[in-house]
Amino acid sequence: MLTRRPRPIPSACLVVASIFFACPARGAGPSEAEGDRFFREKIRPVLEASCFGCHSATAARVKGGLLLDSREALLKGGDTGPAVVPGQGAESLLLQAIRHEDGLEMPPGKPKLADPVIADFERWVNLGAPLPGSNQAVPKADEARRHWAFQPVKKATPPSVRDATWVRNPVDAFVLAKLEGRGWKPAPPAGREEWLRRATFDLTGLPPTPEEVEAFVLDNSPDAFERQVDRLLASPRYGERWAQHWLDVIRFAETEGYEYDRPIPDAWRFRDYVIDSLNHDKPFDRFLTEQIAGDEVDPDDPDCRVASTFHRLGPVRRNAGNPEFALSRNEVLTERTDIVGTAILGLTVGCARCHNHKLEPIAQKDYYRLQAYMAATEEDDISLVPPAEKAAWDVASAKSKAALAEITKKVKKATGEKKARLKAEMEALEYAAPTPLPTIAATKNDFDKRTPIHVLKRGVWENKGEAVGPRPPSILVADALPELPADVRDPRTQLARWLVAPENPLTPRVLANRIWQHHFGMGLVKTVNDFGTRGDRPSHPELLDWLAASLVEGGWRLKPIHRMLVLSNAYRQSGHSPIEAEAARDDPEDRLLWHFRRRRLTAEEVRDAMLAVSGRLNLKAGGPSVMVPVDPVLTKLLYKPTQWRPDPSQDEHDRRSIYLLAKRNLRLPFFETFDAPVLLTSCARRESSTHAPQALELLNGKLSNDLAAAFAKRLAHESGGNPGRTVDRAFRLALGRPPTPEETSLSLAFLRDQSPEEFALAVFNLNGFLYVP
Amino acid sequence: MSPDIRHPHSRPTRTRREFVRDAFCGFGGLAFASMLQEEQARAASPDPLAAKAPHLPAKAKSVIFLFMAGGPSHLETFDPKPLLNQLDGQVRPKEFGEAKYQFVQRDARLLGSKRTFKKYGQAGIDVSDLFPETATCVDDLAIVRSCHGDMVVHSAAQYELFTGRTTPGFPSIGSWVLYGLGSESRSLPSYVVMPDPKGALEAGQPMYANGFLPAIYQPTMFRGGDRPVFNLDLPEGVRPEKRRKTLDLVRDLNRATLDPRDEEFSARINAYDLAFRMQTEAPEVLDLSAEPRETLDLYGIGREPTDDYGRRCLLARKLVEKGVRFVCVVSGGGPGNQQWDAHDDIEENHLRMAATTDRPVAALLKDLKRRGMLDETLVVWGGEFGRSPEAESGKGRDHHNLGFTMWLAGGGIKGGTVVGATDAIGLRAIEKPYHLRDVHTTILNQLGLDQHRLTYPHLGRDERLTFVEGKVIREIV
Repeated sequence: MLTRRPRPIPSACLVVASIFFACPARGAGPSEAEGDRFFREKIRPVLEASCFGCHSATAARVKGGLLLDSREALLKGGDTGPAVVPGQGAESLLLQAIRHEDGLEMPPGKPKLADPVIADFERWVNLGAPLPGSNQAVPKADEARRHWAFQPVKKATPPSVRDATWVRNPVDAFVLAKLEGRGWKPAPPAGREEWLRRATFDLTGLPPTPEEVEAFVLDNSPDAFERQVDRLLASPRYGERWAQHWLDVIRFAETEGYEYDRPIPDAWRFRDYVIDSLNHDKPFDRFLTEQIAGDEVDPDDPDCRVASTFHRLGPVRRNAGNPEFALSRNEVLTERTDIVGTAILGLTVGCARCHNHKLEPIAQKDYYRLQAYMAATEEDDISLVPPAEKAAWDVASAKSKAALAEITKKVKKATGEKKARLKAEMEALEYAAPTPLPTIAATKNDFDKRTPIHVLKRGVWENKGEAVGPRPPSILVADALPELPADVRDPRTQLARWLVAPENPLTPRVLANRIWQHHFGMGLVKTVNDFGTRGDRPSHPELLDWLAASLVEGGWRLKPIHRMLVLSNAYRQSGHSPIEAEAARDDPEDRLLWHFRRRRLTAEEVRDAMLAVSGRLNLKAGGPSVMVPVDPVLTKLLYKPTQWRPDPSQDEHDRRSIYLLAKRNLRLPFFETFDAPVLLTSCARRESSTHAPQALELLNGKLSNDLAAAFAKRLAHESGGNPGRTVDRAFRLALGRPPTPEETSLSLAFLRDQSPEEFALAVFNLNGFLYVP
Repeated sequence: MSPDIRHPHSRPTRTRREFVRDAFCGFGGLAFASMLQEEQARAASPDPLAAKAPHLPAKAKSVIFLFMAGGPSHLETFDPKPLLNQLDGQVRPKEFGEAKYQFVQRDARLLGSKRTFKKYGQAGIDVSDLFPETATCVDDLAIVRSCHGDMVVHSAAQYELFTGRTTPGFPSIGSWVLYGLGSESRSLPSYVVMPDPKGALEAGQPMYANGFLPAIYQPTMFRGGDRPVFNLDLPEGVRPEKRRKTLDLVRDLNRATLDPRDEEFSARINAYDLAFRMQTEAPEVLDLSAEPRETLDLYGIGREPTDDYGRRCLLARKLVEKGVRFVCVVSGGGPGNQQWDAHDDIEENHLRMAATTDRPVAALLKDLKRRGMLDETLVVWGGEFGRSPEAESGKGRDHHNLGFTMWLAGGGIKGGTVVGATDAIGLRAIEKPYHLRDVHTTILNQLGLDQHRLTYPHLGRDERLTFVEGKVIREIV
């Protein structure tokens, strides 16, 4: 993510990191036994109860960079100077803080510690502040090894609960046990209309049709819910919806960003590959392996080649007269390494690029060892046409480029009218350039060009340190595990194998948590891209592990997990709970799931739902991405405005949002306004903001007004012009339910003197349309 | 370079007391609240755009960034180098050290400047004849001659200028400021970018964008002409009275099923009221036709070559007057020579670019001042880098990031000051070098924002605008 940082950083600043990895000698002190026992009995319990919440490796967020869980950390302090000076109890800053001297108040927001406790701390510091267990080699790593996320996945037996009738499947047992622990009851079940709207958007990203809702409401068969879930999971719309989640995480876009923002050749093939893989419920370990190492594991399989586009998806800065190729190569490798950490491992490995990770047990060396798996990875544009055709294209393309270069020169020199004329000619030439040939933007190994990987001091590409070979992060493997040879012939296969290996607990946990997040609106671990020691701790650790284990046992197939979650009673809860007053106070984030979290539709869902409701949605699947017309001010912001070429066919404009071109330098304003991701860094979770430009977009925007007109036309057709039927149908189509009497009368009053188009537009602006209950 | 360099994610601690507070509580002193929660807590309202009190006493309320895209030459504008003229046509003497350029090679020859400099203002500050009008405002300017950045290519340098990072995807300073202070104008967008209608810049849209900050902090890109805001106008053929009724229906239907305790849905209903207000009030502010003749003349509106930039500068003043937080007025767009990117001919390019901006820039400063707004409005002038002492293609200059000039005015900035210096040929900032992040820190400081407290969690880190840590340019505040 970062490029070079040429300013030197003095070694004194790496203090905190060095604590983690160095092995400082411990000064002579009182007898080990006495001091250690005193610490264990008197000090440690207080630290655990009052300090470690903010000042330990297990803290959710370490405050001020100060750790109190190792002696070395204590001596070094947070930013400068020590928190304690052994032997000087009274003067140590730690003592001042707990005595509330000089305006320092620790622990904050709590009563002062009892005087005898403070006296114990003073005595302990005077004893030399012994802190047993903190002076072995790499003490920090040992401690970090105990971090929950690095433990093996354990599949616990679902807990027993008092209200066993509520447990539809094991998921419910885990959820209910926590609720009962608080003395809370789950929310009553949602109505069938609500549930189907929820499940349909969740699994397909589209609203249910009124006919689907009606059939389900009337379906008395015992497996009515199951059949709905099976129907939705079997729909090709499922892959289109869930692909977007993965594309968000791996910051998929179809252009390279930076000034040229050139297309990644036929990047849509990768998007289709993801959709198809999900629709076929391809085992996720295979799915990951193909993306990481598709070109190595099965080079003859076009699918595997397309999967390897994975490594091409980061922003790429092409050299514009810039001689620093090594810098550019370093940027590319950085992108490729960081995304593996974030997307698959849920670890912010990128922080270790410049220095040992301050807060995670990731050494700088670990970072470059991870990068070493990609040392030979190069772009490989595979043409899909016969060589003769390719040769002819090359000739035509060279000719076109030469003509363009010539006219560009002329444009530069010309002025006034002549310039405008030449510019128009130039644009015409750009349009007329031969269309790119069908291509796979694959990757390959080029061992002759392999970049020797070194630890780079401060992350600066010119400051080469120790050479390293591929190896997984130390925290997750045995100390004795050697590096692979730097020139190993199948480096990314080795990486993929480890990523999905049984001894790596992170991959299935991170994945299970992502699935949970999309169904329930929030992960069991809220920080879905960060399972490190600074990340959130799971609200239901046993449930997370149970899901991760079930996922692996089930052959890494997602659909059975979806099925279980969507059919659970936890998912079936209403958004309203009778215990809301109490629960909202004690658990405002709904971590314990005492009710179902309502969610706003994502940008793509709002657009797709407007298309679906108005009857204009074109469900054509797959193929090259579509460009829609946009305001010229946006194309003018492009380096080459001719890069944006709206499809001539309106039908194409009406396709699902996932098939619209994801261009880094031209995001559609509609998507931007409704919190679509920036396409440049991994997006773990969509924001859901509420602001006036959203209202302006939906009220005045061209898309909503065009679709409101189509919606009105559809309503007129389906209701025969009868106002009562128009209102009823509009609500059933757009909100998945009939209108209430009040809604009906308000709507009818409006329709008496206002146009059906304005009514249709109003419906698009209703909370009931924009939110899933 | 600078001796005052610290660890990327730490900051200096000044006193023991501060140390302990920081060590235990983070920078804010709110022990259990994350910094994000603190940011939210500063806002009195759940509305993320509500005006927030700054961290520190603020001097400025708004910022106007006059972005001279492409990189104006310091050597032709604010940093005269007589020695460079003497060495014209020679290879750079070794004692000045090495520099990496985008295009010019090691054997390139130094290029003297054809501009003449005169001393202006009470302080007698050098300004070249490119900016005769701006020169009359020099007593309001703090000229920083020792700026430097990390990148020598446009896109990466532009990202660094706007976001503090050399790669795209991070929030721009405008988004950070909006996130930090909220908005004082509810009928106008709060962070506005007015691109040069001539065309695109290398870093494109992501340079101005909100990055990982919520979409509510995104910039509003103005189009040219009198109706610059997207979606502010009703669709063709729709009358306002008619649309008002539609809005009433939306409100009534939304209220029909509203639980009064439901904050989110209440906020949505309010957003529609606000949208309607924007629709009715904003066009008045955006309309320049009612401005007095004298004001239009002052900005050079209605004549060439100043009409376009003059309009945008006047609009910037009007926006700031209504409480808009951050306005960026871009000079330069399209192919390099349409920017300040004078590779081929520094004379032709800079004479042309200066002619379009000098009068409007001076007008903006004078207009703000006479309205009593300059004290609260921080005006910043500069590009993503400067230009090389060496010639490129005979009479042009290449990109140059090791030393260049920016200036700041108003918003509590000490006018009539010159800070820092480049060496005798303008190659490298050698006296009081200030990195782009120091400029960012200074801008935040004038707004009352503390770089360490203005953070947002992203991928496991509390990110901030200044990344490694910047310092306030003390000489000018």
